[in-house]
Amino acid sequence: MSATGAPVPDDAWETLRRLPRGRTIEIETHDGHRWRGTLVPPHDLSGERVVQIKLDSGYNVGVRIDPADRLRLLDEETGNGGNGGNATAPSRARTRDGEPWVALLSTGGTIASRVDYRTGGVRPVQDEAELLSFYPDLERDGPVRVTPVFDRLSENLAPEDWQTLAREVGRAFGEGARGVVVAHGTDTLAFTAAALSFQLENLPGPVVLVGAQRSPDRPSSDGVTNLAAAVRLARTAPIGEVVVVMHASLSDDRFAIHRGTRVRKMHATRRDAFQSRNGPSLGWMDAATVHWNTPPRPAATGPVRVDDRLGDHVGLLWLYPGLSPARAEAFSKDLRGLVLAGTGLGHSSTVHLAWIRAAVALGTVTVMTSQCLDGAVDPFVYATGRELLRAGVLYADDLLPETAYVKLLWALGRSSDPREVAALMLEDRAGEFTGRRLAEGDR
Amino acid sequence: MKSGLEVHQQLATGKLFCNCPAELSEEVRGRVLRRLRATGGENHAIDPAAAFQASRDLRFVYEVVPSSCLVELDEEPPHGLSKAALDVALVMAQLLHARVLDEIEVMRKIVVDGSNTAGFQRTALVAVDGHLEVRGHTISIPTVCLEEDAARKTGETAGEVTYRLDRLGIPLIEIATGPEITSGAEAREVAEEIGMLLRTTGRVRRGIGTIREDVNVSTEGGARVEIKGVQELRLLERYAELEERRQRFLLDLREKLRSRGARPPSGPGQDVAPALTGPGKGFLFEAARRGHPVLGLVLPGFRGLLRELDASGERLGRELADYARAAGLRGLVHSDELPGYGLEGDRLQALEQALGTGPEDAFVLVTAPEVATAARALAGVSARAAAALVGVPGETREPLPDGRTRYTRPLPGRDRMYPETDVPPVRVDPGHLRELSASLPPRPEVVRERLADRYHLNPEVARQLQRRGAVETFESLVGRGHAAALVARVYTQDLPTAEADLTAPVELAPALLEEVLGSVAEGRIAKEGIASVLRELLLGAPTTVAAIERAGLGGGPVSDLDTLAERVVAANEALVRERGDEAFSPLMGDLMREVRGRRDGQEVAKALRKALASRRAPSGG
Repeated sequence: MSATGAPVPDDAWETLRRLPRGRTIEIETHDGHRWRGTLVPPHDLSGERVVQIKLDSGYNVGVRIDPADRLRLLDEETGNGGNGGNATAPSRARTRDGEPWVALLSTGGTIASRVDYRTGGVRPVQDEAELLSFYPDLERDGPVRVTPVFDRLSENLAPEDWQTLAREVGRAFGEGARGVVVAHGTDTLAFTAAALSFQLENLPGPVVLVGAQRSPDRPSSDGVTNLAAAVRLARTAPIGEVVVVMHASLSDDRFAIHRGTRVRKMHATRRDAFQSRNGPSLGWMDAATVHWNTPPRPAATGPVRVDDRLGDHVGLLWLYPGLSPARAEAFSKDLRGLVLAGTGLGHSSTVHLAWIRAAVALGTVTVMTSQCLDGAVDPFVYATGRELLRAGVLYADDLLPETAYVKLLWALGRSSDPREVAALMLEDRAGEFTGRRLAEGDR
Repeated sequence: MKSGLEVHQQLATGKLFCNCPAELSEEVRGRVLRRLRATGGENHAIDPAAAFQASRDLRFVYEVVPSSCLVELDEEPPHGLSKAALDVALVMAQLLHARVLDEIEVMRKIVVDGSNTAGFQRTALVAVDGHLEVRGHTISIPTVCLEEDAARKTGETAGEVTYRLDRLGIPLIEIATGPEITSGAEAREVAEEIGMLLRTTGRVRRGIGTIREDVNVSTEGGARVEIKGVQELRLLERYAELEERRQRFLLDLREKLRSRGARPPSGPGQDVAPALTGPGKGFLFEAARRGHPVLGLVLPGFRGLLRELDASGERLGRELADYARAAGLRGLVHSDELPGYGLEGDRLQALEQALGTGPEDAFVLVTAPEVATAARALAGVSARAAAALVGVPGETREPLPDGRTRYTRPLPGRDRMYPETDVPPVRVDPGHLRELSASLPPRPEVVRERLADRYHLNPEVARQLQRRGAVETFESLVGRGHAAALVARVYTQDLPTAEADLTAPVELAPALLEEVLGSVAEGRIAKEGIASVLRELLLGAPTTVAAIERAGLGGGPVSDLDTLAERVVAANEALVRERGDEAFSPLMGDLMREVRGRRDGQEVAKALRKALASRRAPSGG
């Protein structure tokens, strides 16, 4: 690298693109303007030959480098590339013997993400220290042991990751955790919640999944209050089931507690995106109280049973006008289980009857759910439903399509006999059926 | 003194990052409660101003109105930067001869006082290195920025602040000048000149609060102090001048403190509530009785200097109290205002003993229900006292209606800014820039020439119309048949006279102004009555008729001016006999008082001359 202060010869762009971030530079443009500041990572969507410089005022400016521009380096290379820096871990409270503690399993997602200045997007945190730097009050009411399990956005999680998580939850209870909190991306949080609901039995404490719709590097992040509520519930609630805790409204003072099998992300961006479908949420909480709308499953004396077996070759197909039977048949080929998200009461166009009949005959467990999400499927109201029933389609009452998909994976992990699988599918295992749907109520 | 300005002008283009209209609203449709905390920027450092604001741990209530959507609530990512608003900024950049950036990057400026739901304000640097000529003096324009306005504060109680979302997201152009302004008067002129230039774009919002100024003042040996949110140009001068005086006062005080060997306070202070037990009047005793902490801190060598009063109304005691207030307390008690608050005689001695103050030492006392709150306030006061030994602390200050200012928070630094990654950077297309520059609005001097030419206005009168932002209304009123000279007079003489007594600025609707002009045309009032009618309208008269009545100009026109003139002359016969034609002036005054603005002065003079002449004629014949 050239000596400090001396102009860098030739095309400044060639030097700049290789220069570590964090260097103090000055660019003298061909028309006589001088830009002085710190070189910061360019935005993903920046134009060609554009560098980003952070001025002393704090503003970043994009400067297009002309071959005639001249570059000066105003400081020595320090080896600290300035790619965001690393937080120092806050001092941890040590767990005293016998003091109840909460396990926090971090999987990535917005709740454990920060702005990435290389890509311009948000990226998951890398370690426990970085996570704790966002949530300095985490251990206010007692110890929390953080275990980073994944550092992935939730759209990148797959069923085998649910198995890993189930084992980690089991291990945490085995080590004596009072409750377990899973910090998770919100996109597929409901899938994971359903999977854990089926995989974990005889729970001695709460398993609380929590996420954030705004990343914690923002002063307004909902992750802070959501996580605090989740940890509080995990520490104090005498329940033995898998729940999701997120904002109950747009305000930061009330949190809904959803059953893991009945919850769905219903909005792309709002803080209160998560809703229980087909009935009230399990309960809600604020800073002082926890209120149950329906009785939660009480905590078992333990030990927790982890059955992480999952089947494979399961599909979820959204039926829509114009879907060709050939395409649908190709999708369902070789599947051991298929969830259909049908229209209305659980219908498909009659053009699909032939391949569905054939698939069921070949042993594909085929489950009908409703695209409407709210309300239950019913094969007896219209002729189409009766035809599908006769074809061997399993009508799954008010099971949500995603929950049905997860449950089918789980059921196929326990049995390969379609009749046994069908029986498991219709048995209420984790509060996944509501049974009755009320005219009104607190959703 | 060196002073710089930041002029913030709202644009009438719709909001900067969503499709909401840029309109204020009184229709509150819902409320949302939020909390904010300080977060670090790219390098994890937390800005001192942000940390300070977050330390107050407030609850924020946001009022949802029709002119807001999920974006204002921080429930949806920002949409792309408004092209219409950016175009106005690009036009301004060119009018200011500034260099437009190749690529514009939207930044987040951390602000956790609740005025932005996200906890940051979005802002983008658009152009740099411009300049402006103001009466032959070149003022540099280092930056032109485009940013979103903050939410509007509509209420505040202990621990909770209410904001309305209508103003949040309205585009603001921020134009900063270099520190080349040398007087308050010049600051005002520069602000007016920038305001004029902004209005030529035709895309700015009008009315009270749509243009706001920040004043940065530094003095030789002092520090940079930012006075934020001055809404009245006429007070700009006073803020800048009082700030200069305050800084000089603080520098003098520093010398006095140093010469006495004063030292910075040490330690976190101590709870003296035990020394305040038993009977005693005043809020400190009351606090101690309730079991609240009363924290005391010794200021070594400060005795007597806390109450020293400056011509600008400043004293160090007030500065210290402002720091306690900024931390959420109502104020503090300092030893230079004792005896008082029930602290005298033995009680005072006991207290001083508990604190261990020497004869040269001062002390301060603060109290709050929570120890943490009181301790935080005392830490601020301690730091401010220590800064008195160094000189003038750099601060953000809030303008008060009387021209003074008050400490609000530390100056923010570069750590408050980090990139807004939800909005892609905007490349400025050179072709588009050329198109805009080919159709720039006429510069103010060109408009002035046109006004002078077309309406035969004096150039200074034309300039005054521009400063008031009245060119458009002026031309429309003249276009509807009102005499140019009369309309210009209303703007340059009558309105300023009418506004002189107002305590807060009031905007007069053009329709009302036209009604007043109509009253003159119909002979209901004379030109001389315009100012007092306008004054009544500004003070709240609901209609022009009511304003005429309140101004005492009711009772219709004076129809028989001649008779009135004859009566006045007759009543002063002796004077007329004695002084002849020289009696005209005193009698004119009497007659004008009788007429009270209902008739034109020239007509009154004519009638008086006629009456005087007729009086002399018989006696002379």
